[in-house]
Amino acid sequence: MLIAWRYRERDTIIQRLDPRARIIFMLAMLFSIIQFWDLRIMLLFLGIAVLQYALARLTWRETRRAWILISFIILFMTILTFFTGRGGVEYAYHEEHLIRRLGPLSIPIVGWQIALNITAEKTIFALSQLARMYAITIMAITIPYTVDPSLYGVTFRGLGLPDKFAYAMDLAFRFVPTLGRDFSITLDSQRARGYEVEKLSGGIVAQIRKLAPLLVPVTINAIVGAEDIIDAMDLRAFGVGPRTWVRRLTYRRADKVLIVAGALLFVVSTVLAFMDVGDLWVPEVLMRLATG
Amino acid sequence: MTTEGFTKNRAVIWLVVLVAFVLLMVLASVLTSGDKIQGIAPIGVTAIGLIGIFVVYLATARSDAWEVGTRQVVYMAIGAALYGVFNYIFNTIPMPSVSQVSLRPAVCIPVFFGYAFGPVVGFFTGAVGNILGDFITGWGVYPAWDIANGLMGMVPGLVMLFADKKRSLNFLTGLVAVLIVIVAALVFLNPQVPGPWTGEIEDFSFWAWAFIIGGVVVIAGRFVLERASVDLAAVNLWGTLGIIIGIGFAALADIWVNGYSFATAIIGEFAPAAGPNILNSMILTPILLAAYQAIQARTGR
Repeated sequence: MLIAWRYRERDTIIQRLDPRARIIFMLAMLFSIIQFWDLRIMLLFLGIAVLQYALARLTWRETRRAWILISFIILFMTILTFFTGRGGVEYAYHEEHLIRRLGPLSIPIVGWQIALNITAEKTIFALSQLARMYAITIMAITIPYTVDPSLYGVTFRGLGLPDKFAYAMDLAFRFVPTLGRDFSITLDSQRARGYEVEKLSGGIVAQIRKLAPLLVPVTINAIVGAEDIIDAMDLRAFGVGPRTWVRRLTYRRADKVLIVAGALLFVVSTVLAFMDVGDLWVPEVLMRLATG
Repeated sequence: MTTEGFTKNRAVIWLVVLVAFVLLMVLASVLTSGDKIQGIAPIGVTAIGLIGIFVVYLATARSDAWEVGTRQVVYMAIGAALYGVFNYIFNTIPMPSVSQVSLRPAVCIPVFFGYAFGPVVGFFTGAVGNILGDFITGWGVYPAWDIANGLMGMVPGLVMLFADKKRSLNFLTGLVAVLIVIVAALVFLNPQVPGPWTGEIEDFSFWAWAFIIGGVVVIAGRFVLERASVDLAAVNLWGTLGIIIGIGFAALADIWVNGYSFATAIIGEFAPAAGPNILNSMILTPILLAAYQAIQARTGR
């Protein structure tokens, strides 16, 4: 099976940035976003995320599959929260203004009562949640398409990860195509023996167990092969001194600007959150609907 | 200074910075409205979690389980690559699915690598493997879920901190019993809470009984599995604990990150992810472990 990275080299502003700066900015955005519930502020963050996405020049064709699945999850989770409406973010709103009450619906046998109160606060909370999740996702989804996989080890080394872990990360990215090929060979071999992964029969336990002929040979083969790699690395005195990297990363002015912008964004967001700016905002229209 | 010493010193510095940051946030919260203490709950919880992990590490620092040599580096890389590749492949190949339980065989990789090669290898396999899988599928990078997958591999690796597998099982049995007693006592003492669906006060003492029955089943399961093999019982119980902690961490983190309600986190994330993962892991990890032990016996390494 051919496993291809989503990364393509493009001459864009985003790809010219240092991956370390981009990861720092992404984390600063994430920790800033989660401090607010005001839809207006959330739309501002969404705007920054969309701008970054647009600058990355990703096409719908290459991201379509990921977007369909992620959008399904986001919508499902938002609707589920709308139905349940309580829990970890109770502090987002303390009182609710009823727009409409659906139910209660009685469930036979168990006798549970299910009712849905559509309130102004719940409605705007769902919209804010939608904007928040899309802002986070747009920031996150750009990374695989725009960061060169061969730079991951040196990027995380630059972010402070110890040498051995950064090298393991680098090595993992290099193993992927080989293991993909091994899987393909194993799948073909098992198919030649009459194994059909598309038509697994039996109950759930039997079906899971029948995946072992694919999983076990690939894993054990990789572990057996690892011994040679370990010997080769030991013979070259791996881990005795600090490592050097073939590719070197250097911060340029634009990277420093991005890091400072990320840090400022986080500091300003935190200060604003402490000043109670950015709590859930309910538009007048919804309040009028609620009060009739 | 040795590399280990340097890493340890840096870890202490980071811990001090983290604690100072949390204290400043709490102070700022008290000096302002006091309401914002809830906003820093995720930082507080994360800090407590990190301190907890660090304390476990300090208490067991001399154990071989934390060693990171050439062998561990290579196994980390192979584990992560395998997890990433399997995640991609089993999400791409059209596979049958029975009822609500999806076929997620890849989960046995972090559990197995953690159990066989230690907590560091397990954590790396899960965390970086998840990043790799998301890279190949193009779904993005989500730190909370990467850490969650790391925990799924790290927890089974903690078995190496015990002198033998049987002692680890005794510890786990005790832990389950204590946790069940605490949770059940909390529910029995305060059974009347707002229901997640209606928002009205409901009696939740049923869940205390559910926890007690679940705990008894787990403890009985340990002895049943142990009759077949200590390894079988250990890998399944530690693996299950790892999945519960890992997925639980991600689901709870999403309450703060994405604003889910508790019910959404449990019904929408924890149950559909943890249930199938546990089932897949309980069936496939022992098979993988048996194959590995056979190879290990043959090669003597």
